[in-house]
Amino acid sequence: MITVDLRYYAQLREQARASGERVATDAASLAELYDELRSRHGFAISAELLKVAVNARFTPWDQPLCDGDTVVFIPPVNGG
Amino acid sequence: MIRFAISDGPIDAPDLSASLANPEHGGFCAFEGRVRARNDGRRVDGLEYEIYAELAQAEGERILAEARQRFGPIDACGVHRGGRLKVGDLAVWVGVSAAHRDATFRACRYVVDQLKHRLPVWKKEHYLDGDAAWVACHHEVPSDKFVPDYSRQTRLRDVGEAGQARLAAAKVLVIGAGGLGSPVLAYLAGAGVGRLGIVDDDAVEASNLHRQTLYAAPDVGHPKAEAAARRVAAINPTVEVEVFSHRLDPGNVVDTFSRFDLAIECTDDVTSRYLSNDAAILAGIPLILASVYQYEGQLQVIGATPGEPCLRCLWPDPPMPDGGCAASGVLGPVPGVLGAMQANEALKILLGFPQPGSASLLLVDLLDNTTQRLAIEAHRCAERGGCAEVARRALAAARADAALDLEFPSWSAAMAAGFHLVDIREPDETAAEPAPVAMQRLPIAELQSHLARLPAGAPILLVCASGRRSGHAARRLRARGVGNVFSLSGGIDGFRSKSRG
Repeated sequence: MITVDLRYYAQLREQARASGERVATDAASLAELYDELRSRHGFAISAELLKVAVNARFTPWDQPLCDGDTVVFIPPVNGG
Repeated sequence: MIRFAISDGPIDAPDLSASLANPEHGGFCAFEGRVRARNDGRRVDGLEYEIYAELAQAEGERILAEARQRFGPIDACGVHRGGRLKVGDLAVWVGVSAAHRDATFRACRYVVDQLKHRLPVWKKEHYLDGDAAWVACHHEVPSDKFVPDYSRQTRLRDVGEAGQARLAAAKVLVIGAGGLGSPVLAYLAGAGVGRLGIVDDDAVEASNLHRQTLYAAPDVGHPKAEAAARRVAAINPTVEVEVFSHRLDPGNVVDTFSRFDLAIECTDDVTSRYLSNDAAILAGIPLILASVYQYEGQLQVIGATPGEPCLRCLWPDPPMPDGGCAASGVLGPVPGVLGAMQANEALKILLGFPQPGSASLLLVDLLDNTTQRLAIEAHRCAERGGCAEVARRALAAARADAALDLEFPSWSAAMAAGFHLVDIREPDETAAEPAPVAMQRLPIAELQSHLARLPAGAPILLVCASGRRSGHAARRLRARGVGNVFSLSGGIDGFRSKSRG
């Protein structure tokens, strides 16, 4: 089990009712982590529409997680 | 030293020039206004000035003091004649000395213009035919004579007069004159950008005023692009404005972009954002994108040079359009902050400031006041032939799709044309505003997975509130091989405004 810090933007922040949280997880990859969170918070948006960044770098979804990573999920936003 | 005088005797110009000698001042400039032999086609023999002396003295001193405030430590002297003058006599003399020539010329011009406009002076012209008439010399400063003062930005070492000249020569296209476009247009107008193109096909609504600071209550109902152009002219009448009251389309967008040096995408419309991205890449001009959601925003500068990432490097295809600010809500200052950042990026690019090393997406969270800067790489488009090739293909596809958005004068016209109407709005929207005519309901989320519910044979017309989601959905269905699907351009809202106006 590792611990990661999460930050949410836009619709995800709204649906999680928090701009971030610290979670302990067994997820092997970012994709698995998002699936876990999706079922917990009921995120409407699928991973293919999101960008994910780890430690302030955009990162592929299959990348393994490391203890202490900061993970940011970013949906595209269109308001103006 | 500043000095103003009304003189009933001849003006001694050499003596006044000498009085402005100052060893610290390398520049000296004088203007002499003389009685001319002809006015409005009539031969003038001479004239007589009548001056409200106390007020003229105070106003003249005030003008010289203003010049000093605007142009820095200058010495200035102004003299206006009173009494009778002959053709060729000196009527007004203004001299300015300053450290450098630029302030000298500009301050002298300023004082002459202001004296002409503001001094309470009347002149009685005596004509050669024996006639005479009183003519008022002073009048209010007309707005087209406004002299912009950029001193607060030219004072910056990295701007200066050379930077101001770059701004004056620059042409910037602003797509969308709403919450983001308001600060963008206001700041660029104030900064003296030479030409602004304004693209917007909406009208001002009362619900815009909490964030769209260009507009006021009397503008409600008026076309936004025109109201924005009026506001720009009010801020800085020297800026040229070109108004585009129609949306840019895949056919004209690259040509339009090519006429500008830089574009700023300020719409809340995902289709417009991708169109602007593709056009900027193909026209080779930088594009500054921003968007907002509730309390946060995203900012991306696209350099549009080979190898630099574009919007499609980040999100290759447009996401499903959402309802924008109308659906999700937004705090007024949020687009204000992001729009101000766009204006700031635009000025930095136009002024040739060094750009940060790597292209990035900036995330701005205005709830906890944090920003995150994430570097973007151009891999995604590189795998698909490069940003330019991706943009070319996308525009070609968009042109082919253009025939997919259909306009009708009325609901009955759409039905008479044989279309099967499908309302793809979400259930809560349909509940809040039922469809104005009977139509099949199939919310967009179910559309892709329930294609069998659509009738075979008849052409299908998808309907949403604005025509954006229906257009997107129709394109998705076409991509899946459903050939006879179309979108109602303008949506239900479009019909409502048609019947209203």
